[in-house]
Amino acid sequence: MEDDGSNPLRRMSSRTRKVASKMVAALSSSDNRTQAALARLDALENDNAGFEVTDANNDDDEASLDDEDQVYMQKKQSKGTKRKTRQAKALEARKAPRTFLELLHEANLESLPANVPTYWKAAVGPPSSTSRRHFCTVCGFSANYTCVRCGMRFCSYRCQNVHNDTRCLKFVA
Amino acid sequence: MSSTSTVVVLDNGGGLIKAGLGGECDPSTIIPNCLYRSPASKKWLHPNPLPTTTTTTTTEPDLTSAAVRRPIDRGYLINPDLQREIWSHLFSSILHINPSHSSLLLTEPLFTLPSIQRSLDELVFEDFNFNSLYIADSPSLVHLYEASRRPDTLVSRAQCSLVVDCGFSFTHASPVFQNFTLNYAAKRIDLGGKALTNYLKELVSFRAVNVMEETFIMDDVKEKLCFVSLDVPRDLNIARNRGKENLFRSTYVLPDGITHMKGFVKYPEQARRYLSLADDGLSRPPEGDMNCLEFAEHPAERKAVDLTKNEFDLTNERFLVPEMIFHPADLGMNQAGLAECIVRAINSCHPHLHPVLYESIILTGGSTLFPQFAARLEKELRPLVPDDYNVKITAQEDPILGVWRGGSLLAASPDFEEMCVTKSEYEEHGSARCRKRFFH
Repeated sequence: MEDDGSNPLRRMSSRTRKVASKMVAALSSSDNRTQAALARLDALENDNAGFEVTDANNDDDEASLDDEDQVYMQKKQSKGTKRKTRQAKALEARKAPRTFLELLHEANLESLPANVPTYWKAAVGPPSSTSRRHFCTVCGFSANYTCVRCGMRFCSYRCQNVHNDTRCLKFVA
Repeated sequence: MSSTSTVVVLDNGGGLIKAGLGGECDPSTIIPNCLYRSPASKKWLHPNPLPTTTTTTTTEPDLTSAAVRRPIDRGYLINPDLQREIWSHLFSSILHINPSHSSLLLTEPLFTLPSIQRSLDELVFEDFNFNSLYIADSPSLVHLYEASRRPDTLVSRAQCSLVVDCGFSFTHASPVFQNFTLNYAAKRIDLGGKALTNYLKELVSFRAVNVMEETFIMDDVKEKLCFVSLDVPRDLNIARNRGKENLFRSTYVLPDGITHMKGFVKYPEQARRYLSLADDGLSRPPEGDMNCLEFAEHPAERKAVDLTKNEFDLTNERFLVPEMIFHPADLGMNQAGLAECIVRAINSCHPHLHPVLYESIILTGGSTLFPQFAARLEKELRPLVPDDYNVKITAQEDPILGVWRGGSLLAASPDFEEMCVTKSEYEEHGSARCRKRFFH
């Protein structure tokens, strides 16, 4: 508690420094963009928009940004809630329904012989032509321009401004 | 209830459960396959069955900002406990049947994982004590229904068809031959009604009002306003126009909780104007299916969006959302569109079947209800099919109920009892052995 409170400025600056390095890394690799695209597709299958992902996972993501933060988070957590025993955790894991993707992974369909039709083989596969129409993420009309920072599409100067103000991701952490 | 011959037919979809007794012509109830919880309460509640012709709507529950729990994820049952809760409500309070005195005909998606099949069997035999069980896959039931309804068509004479099931969780194109689904040739697109609703939510939330939590309202918006465009570039240009030139602009009024509890389309006749564009000599979808004509306002009142009222305009979203089924690549998915999906499914079959299959395409599933769906599909499919083959697409009359009706027919057939797995067989052999009987 003390070392966190004593020097907030120093903590801030180290955090920004680390974020900056992440930002450079994110800008240089295109993989982050594909990851974001996949995450977006995954979100299309969600039942509820905001509700479900409020616990545990989010904390982990944030904590990994910064080592000092992580220590801080752990402290905060240990103070607030009782530590769970392994047994309790195992029970909780068994109780929670697993997602379909987890079940799919468990079924180990790859091990079946090649002639057995499975879930994976039934997927229609990539389209024959690679051409993709792009629609402006702001207004929906066909978009000719790409945001240099996040790769989203927009169609005009006006839409670019809206995009920059509201949803430009800048980088995907 | 007391006789042992009652057959419960259950089409357990990801979005809607269609349930009824075998032999009847329509399911006795259609109920959303979910529990919901409004933000004010802590209890998960059962949604009301959808209004049918026989039942009148009772008091509508407030579904605004309700959170939803579904037992089915990506089309497959992942939460048997939740499903048990929903089924027991369905059997005891809605259908009023006693499972231990009845058989069950249940639909299951293609390629269900063995672990999911096992949990489903446990649910049916151990939790509900059904007498016997028959597992059917939806394409063969749809084929059965269509073949028996029109005995003189090619579908029934050639005993094969290609069933395109565009439902809530995903879209399948599956060839059916002699009442068996050729599962080695079935192809799937991971896009269905749920993804489309979520996509529409995302678009509207960014452009107009935040509706990310309004699953039920946005479902309604999608059903009432979305349609399939026959010519996307042309329609995009029209959608750009201002004022009356813009044939696609339509306004949806969100429920305000005081005067109206359900959202509605503000000017229904304005929302239908896009139909005037269907000038290619293609058949028009039947008009007048959109209800909610409560507000008949004067043209003078047509102004820009009134910000004091909770309403939003839709223009190009109306056709860009269903468009994703035809071009999932536009969404960033690495999957082919529906037309190509059909071609690939057919190409996986024996060449002798190709001409027949192209001529007997059946559309089913709730997402095929978008106006102009069949016309657009034909337009996309024709260039991909060899010239000497005919393409004929039949849209089912009631695509949501088609599977159930097939199941009802099957349940009424005289040798149905022999096809079932009984509870004693299950107890002796276990799940895996019994499953072999259904040839999946």
